[in-house]
Amino acid sequence: MKSVLYISAGMIALAAICTGCVSRGNDTGWEYAPDMAYSKGYEPYNQGDSNVVNPYGMSMREPVAGTVAKGKEATHYPYDNSADGYEAAKSFNYPLDFEDKAERGKYLFGIYCTPCHGDNGGNDGEVFKRGLGKPAWPNFQDKYIKEISVGQIYHTLTYGKNNMGSHAYALKPMDRWRVIRYVKQLSGAGAEPAAASDSTAVNPNN
Amino acid sequence: MRTLALAATLSLSFSLKAQFKASAEEGKKLYEANNCGSCHAFDKKVVGPALRGVNQRRDEEWLIKWIRNNEAFRKSGDADANALYKEYGGAAMNIFENLSPDQVKHILEYIKTAPKPAAKATAVVADGDKTKTDSNSLYILLALIGIFIIVLIILGKVRNTLRRLAAEQDGTAEDEGQGSFIKGLLPEKLAKMNPTVLTVFTVVILGGIGFVWSYKFGITEVGVQKGYAPTQPISFSHKLHAGDMKLDCKYCHIGVEESKSATIPSTNICMNCHKGVQKASTAEGDDISPEIAKIYKALDYNPEKIGAEAFGSNPKPIRWVRIHNLPDHAYFNHSQHVKVAGLACQTCHGPIEKMEVVQQWSSLQMGWCIDCHRNAGIDAANNNYYAALHEKAAKDLKNNKNKSQYFGPDGKVRITPAMNGGLECAKCHY
Repeated sequence: MKSVLYISAGMIALAAICTGCVSRGNDTGWEYAPDMAYSKGYEPYNQGDSNVVNPYGMSMREPVAGTVAKGKEATHYPYDNSADGYEAAKSFNYPLDFEDKAERGKYLFGIYCTPCHGDNGGNDGEVFKRGLGKPAWPNFQDKYIKEISVGQIYHTLTYGKNNMGSHAYALKPMDRWRVIRYVKQLSGAGAEPAAASDSTAVNPNN
Repeated sequence: MRTLALAATLSLSFSLKAQFKASAEEGKKLYEANNCGSCHAFDKKVVGPALRGVNQRRDEEWLIKWIRNNEAFRKSGDADANALYKEYGGAAMNIFENLSPDQVKHILEYIKTAPKPAAKATAVVADGDKTKTDSNSLYILLALIGIFIIVLIILGKVRNTLRRLAAEQDGTAEDEGQGSFIKGLLPEKLAKMNPTVLTVFTVVILGGIGFVWSYKFGITEVGVQKGYAPTQPISFSHKLHAGDMKLDCKYCHIGVEESKSATIPSTNICMNCHKGVQKASTAEGDDISPEIAKIYKALDYNPEKIGAEAFGSNPKPIRWVRIHNLPDHAYFNHSQHVKVAGLACQTCHGPIEKMEVVQQWSSLQMGWCIDCHRNAGIDAANNNYYAALHEKAAKDLKNNKNKSQYFGPDGKVRITPAMNGGLECAKCHY
């Protein structure tokens, strides 16, 4: 009769142990061969072993200040993040090899601009509805956007302005121009890029 | 003539009487219509200075000039105006020449009379983690089962003892072994059964339950982290950001179209909105949300200050807890699936826009990958990447060659990732 007790206890224990394999909440559950699952080599988001060399155990490092990515040498924006830079940006213009892809501009606008500025630039996006301060101009059809120079929009996208942050993290230089072109289209200021061949303009891409 | 003169005097006296009076109500409307609040708050610096008390700090004439056209005012050489401009790092205020001096007076009146917010008790910052309950409930259940078994055993012992006592009184004492208390637990009929039969019977029942249990919740789940939903250092809600605010996933996960990883957003992306949005959407008053304060802490950002000065010199990275971890020996690339194949994030990550806490939605087992690669139809016709594949399929169908592979279970023609090498070992394992 004792065996019955032992077997029952064993079964319950087995069930309990196996239940430990399930992952839920903060618990990953059980794993077999974790050394096959977690990279021993340093990978960008590796958390298996903390990196012992880098600060904070991170595998990713910031590039050294002033690093220019390969192939991006010419896309450097020459002006500072300052009032003077903003003023100087007026002369900045579409690059000579600007290749418009209207769909791309609209697509990027939909991702990076609409959260605040709304689908058609009416400043009626969800973030503005929830209390982030709106700009002083009411919408993209306003005189302000119609008349502002594309270089200054480029400056704003690169560095941010007032409540708006920099969007250089997501928009590459050429994509920034495509978004600007789409914004100008939305404003009704005419879709044609202003003469890009202005010899005094600093062109980032050539 | 006389009546005209009378009318003239009357209207003159009227216009004298209707002297200008600044109205706070009118001012509030103008304040909102011109979005003054986007750069100013009453009691703290935002982009521009705090407004309360501005009527005492400057005289009205000065303010009207500044507000209507600060650029011209600065150029006119006003020392105060230029000093102010410098103090705020050259962040020029917009020009509001559309406002008449009277309208500016309305706004100033509104600023003067705007009520101060009532003092509030300091918000208590909840710091503990309360998400342990989920896994704890299992242990509580197990503990209860254990206690139940002990109680049963004790009761069994008691029953045995009583039985023996009763038997002694009857003078028919049974000779029972020490370990037979289990018998005491069982109904008489079972207790009289052959012990071997009873053992087999018990093993079959308990073993069956144990097997099903461990199969369902155990063995097949080893190494599978579906349902894993760890507490993150900042309780960021995808439901709020991706669901309610309708932010596109790519606004933050910028790498998803270009790299292997979707990338965890850096804090500067948070700051695109949270430089301005500082309080929790549910909170009243102006207290900074404790969760948003964690971003500021990570960035060493001081919300009281303006511009570059606000960022301190001691930022610390946020250590998010990784949820999806594909084994090291398997390769996965987000850009291939999102950019090329055009899959929605939700295909694998589930209804992420409804998740308060993100959990791993898919098993990430190999079978799960293969299922999709075998059966999912890819839009080869409208995608240049698959042009060669599409051409070959069209040719095969025309020439009746290997035709059957192009028909799905529903009898419709489709092209699967498998036909593009989606089942080759070395595509993912190398």
